[in-house]
Amino acid sequence: MGYIMNKNSNKQVEMPQLLTVSPSPHLKAPVTTGKIMLDVLIALTPALIWGIYMAGIRAAVIVLISVVSCVIFEGASVKLMGRKTSLLDLSAVVTGVILAMNLPVSVPLWMPVVGSFFAIVVVKQLFGGIGKNIVNPALAARVFLISWAGEMTRFPSPAEPVNSLAVKLGEADIVSSATPLVSLKAGELPEATLGDTFVGNIGGCIGEVSALFLIIGGLYLIIRRVISWHIPVAYIATVAALTYVFPQANDGLKFMLYELTSGGLMLGAIFMATDYVTSPITENGKLIFGVGCGALTVLIRYFGGYPEGVSFAILIMNLLVWYIDLIGAPRRFGKVKEKRKKAKGKES
Amino acid sequence: MAYTFRGGIHVEEYKLTAKSRTQIINDPPTVRISMNQSIGAPATPTVKVGDTVKIGQVIGEVPETALGCPVHASVSGKVTAINEMRVTDGSMNRTVVIENDGKNEVHESVVPFTKSITDVSPEEITDIIRRAGITGMGGAAFPTYAKIKSAVGKAELLIVNCAECEPFITADHRLLLEEAEKVVGGVKILMRAVGVPRAVIAVEDNKSNVKNKLHRQIGNANFISVKFLKTKYPQGDERQLIYALTGRELAPGKLPADAGCVIFNAATCAAVYTAFAEGMPLVRRIVTVTGNCVASPGNFSAPIGTPASYLVEMAGGLRKTPEKMIAGGPMMGQAQWDPDMPTKKNTSALLLLSKSFSKKQNSPAACIRCGRCVKNCPMRLIPAYIASSVMNDDMKSAEKFGAMSCVECGSCSYNCPGKVEIVQYIRVAKNNIRTENARMKAAREAAEKK
Repeated sequence: MGYIMNKNSNKQVEMPQLLTVSPSPHLKAPVTTGKIMLDVLIALTPALIWGIYMAGIRAAVIVLISVVSCVIFEGASVKLMGRKTSLLDLSAVVTGVILAMNLPVSVPLWMPVVGSFFAIVVVKQLFGGIGKNIVNPALAARVFLISWAGEMTRFPSPAEPVNSLAVKLGEADIVSSATPLVSLKAGELPEATLGDTFVGNIGGCIGEVSALFLIIGGLYLIIRRVISWHIPVAYIATVAALTYVFPQANDGLKFMLYELTSGGLMLGAIFMATDYVTSPITENGKLIFGVGCGALTVLIRYFGGYPEGVSFAILIMNLLVWYIDLIGAPRRFGKVKEKRKKAKGKES
Repeated sequence: MAYTFRGGIHVEEYKLTAKSRTQIINDPPTVRISMNQSIGAPATPTVKVGDTVKIGQVIGEVPETALGCPVHASVSGKVTAINEMRVTDGSMNRTVVIENDGKNEVHESVVPFTKSITDVSPEEITDIIRRAGITGMGGAAFPTYAKIKSAVGKAELLIVNCAECEPFITADHRLLLEEAEKVVGGVKILMRAVGVPRAVIAVEDNKSNVKNKLHRQIGNANFISVKFLKTKYPQGDERQLIYALTGRELAPGKLPADAGCVIFNAATCAAVYTAFAEGMPLVRRIVTVTGNCVASPGNFSAPIGTPASYLVEMAGGLRKTPEKMIAGGPMMGQAQWDPDMPTKKNTSALLLLSKSFSKKQNSPAACIRCGRCVKNCPMRLIPAYIASSVMNDDMKSAEKFGAMSCVECGSCSYNCPGKVEIVQYIRVAKNNIRTENARMKAAREAAEKK
């Protein structure tokens, strides 16, 4: 034995004496972590390009620094910790891009490096690497960088893109502007029109300004089935409902629309709250998670000392994911609820 | 509207052999017939080395009180050995080796049943089915007579499982196209044996070309209907089948009879018909020989115990060197190590796949909690959490997350981007939980005795 003839071509083909034994299923879908991350990067691209166009070339440099340092920190820590993770899964690149999108264009160039270190080494790898971190790395890094509150809250005016690398905050070459969120916090409707806030003609972090392009990216992810609608819809709907019912300015509808299109809500609801690793795995859990993020965002925006609440809200909800999944577990096939009632009946 | 269930996955069908007429194979030089053809007690060989046997002759017997059924010679010839060998499921079995003399002589005991089926009692029918060695031919190989007995008085609907939801396999599809009369005839016999007023032949809608053939055979027997199910894996799982057809959810640990149903595979029905019409016990079955390594994939009606390598030769030989050979479908079938592995009564397919087909992943497995396994699980479990409990050696949590409800369809592992062998972890959990429960039970009983 050892060979079996191919009767179509009259060639002998080897038949191994011992074949490979492995558990079923023997077929696998072509989906991989790397392909999913690539889809996330594609979805981020429109908002990222708009962000760079609005904020200037300096924004592109910040994105580059952030991505490169994330990849280097990932590679180095994987090596040092003896992990067998592949950089090909692109998750470090996604973290780098999202971190940069959460920074104002005027931050000093060392800040994305420090942020990347915190995101990749402290939040992700020290907790066990991909799939094991409890909170979203990019978000945790952003909140960590808010330690430098001045740098993190000064936004150049959208009218003047920053194209030179050397910028000094507070000096003449940067015109700081109040973001729409700051006006909303003060109980006034912003000067920017709703069209401006929707398309992204406003001040803010590099990647968060354009609700339009972020929504386009979100639709791409939903169509590609990378994310489900549950978290973004529950999140945004909760913010909409709460800000409409309890407006801080006299025009409730307008106030709500400004709240939805300003700040980091779209970026957070579509790209950060939906991070697989740090969000619930069950559908019911996703809805609870989205509602929780929305409610906390509004609470922090209304009553917190900082105008933005998205990052804090998502981080807090990240910590509760395990318990949310326990609540949100689907009803098992064939499992009847009566059982519990009967057991209680017996006891009494 | 097609009938369907929640969850599950769409898999590439790879039904390469859907149009290949079944070829009849009579002359494998040797057959090796395992004495463990079904769930239950293994048969004891009733022949000795050197005996001459004929097709249909009993070669292994099970005491009537035990669960299990007799085994018959599938070729005529001489018994050359009776030894222990490993079979498709990896267990060691007593195996009778018969050298084929090529004469295809049929044993005297094989005589057609001449009485009208309505003149015999259901008990008598059930006994004939037992003596014909008929087992479930879809996968689990539960003795058919025992299934009938468990369903009598409980079941009101007989379901013929023709879902064949596994990719590649077309054995049942061809059976329905070529021998619909046997399937329908078998259904009528089984209906009388169980005592059910209605039967449904349930087919996935990728096989809608069987519709006319079935209707022609059913004729005016309007108590048998044909229903088409949406093509989705694992539609052939009995719980999902019952749910799709009746909307009833079978609770964990319950049998189909508890939901008023009894399910037989299409090939099982045809085997029942053959046992009556020809008097021939279950000695051959249709095996789909396919996969990207087979030169001319096809369907073969082969004697039970035919070596895999012989079937591959019959299918035109090898086109590529295989890495794996699978008995059954790619989703739930078992990988074999021996190229000469003999077929059993439940071997519906032989699948030869190359290395490039079952591509290995370079990156190590890591769950990214994407939730695909939760969405696809037809039993609505949280497979990822069961798997991670097992990784932490925490069987209590695995049980709490419903490990014992798992039907091992593999939808979770199939769609996992992190390439975690989720269903294998769940199998480990099930095994550990069963062992632990048995140990606890034994300890409790021992304590009570004292």
